[in-house]
Amino acid sequence: MNRFQQKCRQLLSGQSIILVLAAVLLFALCVVPFIELFLKIIFSGVDGEFSLEPYRHAFARHSALIAVGNTLVLSTLVTLLSLILAVPLAWLLSRTDLLGAKRWRSWLSIPFAIPPFIGAIAWIFLANPSTGLLNKIFGGSFFNIYSFSGLVFVESSFLYAFVLMTALSSFDRIDSSLEEAARLSGAPPWRVFCDVSLPLLRPALSGAALLVFLATAASFGVPALIGSPARIYLMTTQIYMFQKMGSISGLLRAGALSTCLMAVAFVVLTLVQYLTRKQSLQTVGGKTARPSLIELGKYRHFAFGGVTLFWIITFILPVLGIFVSSVSHVQGDLQWSNLTGQTWIRTLLQNEETGRAFLNSFILAGSAATGAVLLSILVGYIQVKTRLPGRGLLGSMASLPYATPGTVLAFAMILSFSGSFLGILPSLYNTLALIALAYLIKYLSFAMNTAKDAYAQIDDVLAEAARVSGANWTRTMLTIWLPLLAPALAAGWFLVFMPALSELTMTILLTGPGLETIGTTIYQLQEYSDAGGGGASVLSLVVVILVVTINLLVKWISRGRYGL
Amino acid sequence: MSYVGFKKVGKVFPGGIRVVDQFNLEISEGEFVSFLGPSGCGKTTSLRMLAGLEKNTEGVISIAGDIVSDPERHIFVPPEKRRVGMVFQSYAVWPHMNVFENVAYPLKMANRPKDEIRDRVLKMLAVVEMQGLEERKPSQLSGGQQQRVALARGLVMQPRVLLLDEPLSNLDAKLREKMRRDIRQIQQQLKLTVVYVTHDQIEATTMSDRIVIMRGGKLIQVGTPTEIKAKPADDFVADFIR
Repeated sequence: MNRFQQKCRQLLSGQSIILVLAAVLLFALCVVPFIELFLKIIFSGVDGEFSLEPYRHAFARHSALIAVGNTLVLSTLVTLLSLILAVPLAWLLSRTDLLGAKRWRSWLSIPFAIPPFIGAIAWIFLANPSTGLLNKIFGGSFFNIYSFSGLVFVESSFLYAFVLMTALSSFDRIDSSLEEAARLSGAPPWRVFCDVSLPLLRPALSGAALLVFLATAASFGVPALIGSPARIYLMTTQIYMFQKMGSISGLLRAGALSTCLMAVAFVVLTLVQYLTRKQSLQTVGGKTARPSLIELGKYRHFAFGGVTLFWIITFILPVLGIFVSSVSHVQGDLQWSNLTGQTWIRTLLQNEETGRAFLNSFILAGSAATGAVLLSILVGYIQVKTRLPGRGLLGSMASLPYATPGTVLAFAMILSFSGSFLGILPSLYNTLALIALAYLIKYLSFAMNTAKDAYAQIDDVLAEAARVSGANWTRTMLTIWLPLLAPALAAGWFLVFMPALSELTMTILLTGPGLETIGTTIYQLQEYSDAGGGGASVLSLVVVILVVTINLLVKWISRGRYGL
Repeated sequence: MSYVGFKKVGKVFPGGIRVVDQFNLEISEGEFVSFLGPSGCGKTTSLRMLAGLEKNTEGVISIAGDIVSDPERHIFVPPEKRRVGMVFQSYAVWPHMNVFENVAYPLKMANRPKDEIRDRVLKMLAVVEMQGLEERKPSQLSGGQQQRVALARGLVMQPRVLLLDEPLSNLDAKLREKMRRDIRQIQQQLKLTVVYVTHDQIEATTMSDRIVIMRGGKLIQVGTPTEIKAKPADDFVADFIR
């Protein structure tokens, strides 16, 4: 009886109430919307009867099928190109005496943090068929960006960075004596790469490749800006078109196609899980001498030139492009007389929508980041510092939305929150709150991972010492854990804030009058209100500058642990 | 004529930090020589320069009469062309290959015919007492067994010199003692020239023909274990060898 009472009191303590609430909230936010989405599509018949009508409708015209085909082909090509670009780069950066290897590491990773739709805007300026700068310089039909190869190129020029970062960190973790042993066995460097490095990297690379596949399938901005004008539709843009029809049946078709996209994501993620489980290659202890770098010798300048050219094409040229575009009176005209500051003034100062968009985006990203950090403080604690059953599941729940294509997540949000969510909330449709919530859910795993890392690095005895000194759990949380976690939490906050600031994929589906964000405003300017005027370029450049600045800030706060 | 020779070998890192200075040593064929010293004394760097994994910035290194490195004359033979066997502290047994494939790799690189590879690998596995485990993956082996695979791989191509970089430091005390005896026995049986890096004076004194004591990148004393014990060059050596 005494033990039973003790157990009850334990269960009712402030600690367990707070933690259980956090876990329930996590479930409600990260899992329930997807269940709702699926149920609403499946039971869409009269009086909520089971029905597959939405699927039949969605695929009634060939366009949806073609969109599925396009998505699969595009994702495959982007994945292959990203691997072909990133793996040799990673080898050069981590295993050879390439000039400035350390600098290149962060410079070549930057595209990972910039929203790809900004690249699309830049490349439309550089390579559209009529006024594209490159086409004007190199003659008529140098490269038409409004094409399938244009899509592959722009997507790859961003997503390679993800493979690169994965490959670099794997190279760093390979015990370099494994490669040295092969050298001493008589293998020249290229054989070492094929026989030892590549097989050891394979699990990590396959995982990264699958995630690139998924990211391409889930991307909206690039396909909308580059694909749609060329009448190349992907699943995401097709969903957007269905939804824009505005009717219930359009909504249901969009929902049906969303669940198909989700299925693609599910297959891919299952494969990733399977591959990373097999990854448990035994790493043998012992000091690892710093790897002896392969001397490129006479190829050194050649390699440096190649990397520089790659960087110029994938980064400098687009950034320069949007800059030139933003100060051009007439797009694609390279004369001094064409120089103007008008576009900047018009876009930033005279357009009240822009001001509202910045304000909205900062509020949305800020509140999403704050919410995500608060939730990860509690959930991170459960995961790392308690032995509660099911704590591993919380991690999977938190990463589910990030793995889900933004289009699907936004759709699930619309369906779950436009009525009264679980009967407790008023309808959030067409409010900033819904967008903020979507951001919070989507990027929660970033905050969660930094919080978990930080918890794992702090020894329990520090908290135990506080408990022994008379502090209860809540006080310990506030006076010991939080101050110690603070740097990691700040980094986590920015990691959520940054992508949320210029998010487009979800926002475009959730936005409404008065709910402009930076992302949707850029999209609107580019597609409709200022097409060919350079206003989108102005805002894009502002976003690039913001992203780079915040990145440096994160790197500084976390002393190089996070950030690029 | 020395078999392995270091002549005024030195290494300065790009930042200007000197890790090895004026290193002179001659090793005869079939000799077992240990480099002994505290961590950071330059013993591993010297070994890695002999292997070709690091470049010496000064002096001449030769193996079996061939100059393998002489920065002044721009001679540098890459590690894969030196015919040197090496056993690493972390064993460096490739986790994606089984025992047979690990040991066969150097012979495959030398383009030996399949039958010969099979023959020599099995023979070498017998020497290190690993018969019958050819199909095992490294993850199914104990640390000691991985060590033996690494040894077999280092020996299978009949290297001109075998290099061992603190090979026993990850083993428990019992196993370490047995491996000490086994390595010494294999060395004498195959008449190997061995360079052995360690910070453990017991390993150095029980296994070696000669010991090279190093500190701060410099060679302090060279001699047989008994010589060094009897006449340590200075207090540092006396303290270290005791």
